[in-house]
Amino acid sequence: MDARLRRVNKEISDCKNDKTSNISVELVDNSPFHLIGSFLGPEETPYEGGHFQVDIIIPDSYPFQPVKMKFITKLYHPNVSSASGAICLDILKDAWSPVLTLKSTLISLQSLLCSPEPNDPQDAEVAKHYMTSRASFEETARYWTHIYAGGPGKDGKKSGKTGDSRDEVAMAGLDKAHVDKFEALGFERSKVIDVLRRLNYRGANVAKLNDDRIVEELLK
Amino acid sequence: MSSDYELSDNEYYDEDDDEVMYDDEDGSASEMDVDFRISPNTKVKSYEIDFDSLSQAQVEKQISQDVEDISGIFGVEPEVASLLLRNYNWNKERLIEKYMDSATAVSIAAGLALPEKPDSSSRSRATQSQPVGAVRRTTRRNTNEQPKSGKTKILERVTPPLDDQPFVCPICFDDSQTKTMSLQCNHKFCTECWNAYTTSKIRTEAEHWITCMAEDCKLVATDDFVKSALKDDADVFTRYQELVVRHYVSCNKNLKYCPYPSCTHTVSCPAGASKSALTTIVPIVTCGASAGHKFCFGCNVDADHRPVVCGVAKMWLQKCQDDSETANWIKSNTKECSKCQSTIEKNGGCNHMTCKKCKYEFCWVCMGPWTEHGTAWYSCNRYDEKASIDARDAQSRSRASLERYLHYYNRWANHEQSAKLSVELYTKTERKMEEMQITSDMTWIEVQFMKKAVDEVFKCRMTLKWTYAMAYYLEKNNQKELFEDNQRDLERAVEELSELIESSIDPESALPLRQKVTDKTVYVQKRNEIMLEDTANGFLEGRWKWNMSIDGFDEPTEYAY
Repeated sequence: MDARLRRVNKEISDCKNDKTSNISVELVDNSPFHLIGSFLGPEETPYEGGHFQVDIIIPDSYPFQPVKMKFITKLYHPNVSSASGAICLDILKDAWSPVLTLKSTLISLQSLLCSPEPNDPQDAEVAKHYMTSRASFEETARYWTHIYAGGPGKDGKKSGKTGDSRDEVAMAGLDKAHVDKFEALGFERSKVIDVLRRLNYRGANVAKLNDDRIVEELLK
Repeated sequence: MSSDYELSDNEYYDEDDDEVMYDDEDGSASEMDVDFRISPNTKVKSYEIDFDSLSQAQVEKQISQDVEDISGIFGVEPEVASLLLRNYNWNKERLIEKYMDSATAVSIAAGLALPEKPDSSSRSRATQSQPVGAVRRTTRRNTNEQPKSGKTKILERVTPPLDDQPFVCPICFDDSQTKTMSLQCNHKFCTECWNAYTTSKIRTEAEHWITCMAEDCKLVATDDFVKSALKDDADVFTRYQELVVRHYVSCNKNLKYCPYPSCTHTVSCPAGASKSALTTIVPIVTCGASAGHKFCFGCNVDADHRPVVCGVAKMWLQKCQDDSETANWIKSNTKECSKCQSTIEKNGGCNHMTCKKCKYEFCWVCMGPWTEHGTAWYSCNRYDEKASIDARDAQSRSRASLERYLHYYNRWANHEQSAKLSVELYTKTERKMEEMQITSDMTWIEVQFMKKAVDEVFKCRMTLKWTYAMAYYLEKNNQKELFEDNQRDLERAVEELSELIESSIDPESALPLRQKVTDKTVYVQKRNEIMLEDTANGFLEGRWKWNMSIDGFDEPTEYAY
């Protein structure tokens, strides 16, 4: 049997047999080379209670070249693109070793959620948010977990409530009062959210950015 | 005179002395003709540069020389010395210095020894016996005890380990594999996996630094290990050796790899290695594999951009890539006859156009009547400053500078196109020449003059092309006038030769045509040398002044435009 197929089959059955790590992989289109992995958000993090899915593609030269992974579930994390789900993790690139497995890689992803590396970010805006205001960042991350990953949310509300304007502000990790203030000047709400998010109008940064600068940006 | 001129280059020059004298009357190259009277074959031309072409084997020889040196000094095996050197980017002095400080640290950094405390995650077996702290001694002992084996680090075993458990490769999970390999770290994997891994590293990642497959293990495979891991797959191992050579070449600033696809030659050109030298010389080199593998040692232009220096060539190419200015003229590949307005497309290399419809003869470049081009006041190559002043009065300043640019660009692009077209034309001519061989009594060698002429036209058009890039940036002064005089002489000669090449050939006119073409070729060749020589000397003497700031040169005193 083909060494790659044998190895992948063994890895899949290893994941299925392992009940302790809460990690599972499923086949897409019955091909063992395109999988969906999933794991639970680690405890005592903003991702707790969330169920995160990862798209896994096994390249032809596996295991000598790393697997290709990206998040299907949206999450708010400095090392994961909030738009595409692309992941910045060394073992998926040059630190890959053929002895690493799907299970160990997924566990590494899980531990990446515990300890973000904002100095080597995938999503610079999220990383800025993380660096300037941890509390606000965690609130937003928790909110995203609640909305997208079926997490419990701030007040233990049921998930799936999206769309209203309160959500947009919370999703961007902004303060509702700030958004209201600039909206009152006659700018579109979505534009205000976009600009404030881009300028990282949060926490201690609010004092550093004066209103003129924001309005200037809004007028562009 | 008509029979023997194929014999030697010297005869060309003798025959043409008269013409050179005549041309020097306009004062452009009077210092040059003295040089040309000295035998031109022995003289080193100032527009040429000393360089050596090295084959891969020659570079490998240099590498093994370095490796032997280090191996002798440190008392280690050559393959160990090779890894040490590679990790220090082939800088022998630095390696020796650091190795004397701490051989252990250097060996660890080079992936030759395990760090003092291997971390728990690495799967090295508890039975690993050697004290890893004593790396230097380990290496030494290996060399002393088994100096001739050369395989001290390849632990290939046919039998499974001592314990009862059958060996299961942690990568392919195959328990039927009995052959395993490991580096000094004793991380065992089956030979199949090592093979696939090294092949993938070399083929897909172009990597010559092949680490152990275990996670976080930094040990590096030696050449012998790679060879046995590849199971003597010669193709991949050759590629591996090539990658090592490439690494060596890229670390040495006197060396450059030939940029042509799949060429494995290296060029050594110490004169063109320093950045400051690039303001005075144009290091055009050719690798030994083929005369066509001509490239610039100083920049990444893979063509001959003489006579202009790299900085100017780069600026010009960048400017030409800028759509804003080129878009204006790119639109038209055709031009209108200035008399009857019929649209005309150029289909040959010569710039002497005759309108099919109204028979009007004109110059493709300046669109003026051709009659003016044969006379003494040939001025097609020069931007008409007077007209430019008028244009400035009538139109905005920016428009004038655009026109100025287009003047130079037009001529630049035109020479490039003409060069291509003359080569195309030659294929047609070649057929005619073959016919002539049959119909007339000329021999094969006698009909080769066409090939020589076309080659020369091509070469000169390339020079002319770049002289326009140079003229664009030259400050307007007497030196530029002289430059443009040389340019004009060359251009006129090239156009005349180009026209001769295109004239129709029949058995009667063949002999006189051959005479004319051969004479003209020699003359053009000489004009080209004058152009290149004078420009190169100008760079050496710092004679050229620029109208804008160029990397490596003094700031211009005032902007001409």
